[in-house]
Amino acid sequence: MFNFRRHRKNLSEAELIELAKQDSFYFGELYNTNFDRIFRFVFKRLGGNEEVAGDLTQQTFIKAMANIGKYEDRGLPFCSWLYRIAQNEVSMFFRNSKNEHTVDIDAGKFKDLCDEANLGKYMSAEDQEQLVELLNGMEQEHLDLIELRFFQEMSFKEIADIYSITEANAKMRVYRILEKLNKKWVDTTERSEH
Amino acid sequence: MRKFSIKTDKNLEPTDEQIKRQKDFSRLHHDYERLTKRGKKPIYRDPKLYLLFVIIGVILLLLFLEK
Repeated sequence: MFNFRRHRKNLSEAELIELAKQDSFYFGELYNTNFDRIFRFVFKRLGGNEEVAGDLTQQTFIKAMANIGKYEDRGLPFCSWLYRIAQNEVSMFFRNSKNEHTVDIDAGKFKDLCDEANLGKYMSAEDQEQLVELLNGMEQEHLDLIELRFFQEMSFKEIADIYSITEANAKMRVYRILEKLNKKWVDTTERSEH
Repeated sequence: MRKFSIKTDKNLEPTDEQIKRQKDFSRLHHDYERLTKRGKKPIYRDPKLYLLFVIIGVILLLLFLEK
């Protein structure tokens, strides 16, 4: 039998998306190109839980495959659409999970967050624990943005693409959250000093 | 719910083996097909086909009674 499917290697991403809307065979190439970065994103957001990260990444691609017909090219990279689906999947997982999940964060990245929020140059282990407690008490939507910017090390442009907002808006949102965190931190340290 | 904790020694990047273990398009395709493709309806649950068989049955019965 003749195979009339075009050779995938010669196709651009936009062409692959258009073909994937009609034939799931072409979705395989989109999957192969984007799997690593989406898995890495989910894995880090779950603090290194491989099995759950694998399931949620799989779920992300199933949803993408089911909804590719509705995908519209708005000049953003295809992966930002996948990141958005993955972001929703992870948030839904945390929301629906009855157990509390501990997400490990890298100490170096945590320091970057402290610097950016002007929380002081030196932080003792006790201070860090106190700050983690403050973070754990924040709204989930705010935590998502903190995670993307500092723990996933995404640029404002990438965050903006995921949330379908402008880069300036993404920057403003992140800095407002940092201001809030700074205010909470000042209140907590003042209270503990008295 | 999630709770953060700081780790100084843990590598939070997945290894190449972990990525390779989880990357499987055939499994994805199979799961997708299983979730999206509806199972075939049995004949007796399809009203149109059911009616067709009843009509054929009545015609055959009438032909048999005529003889």
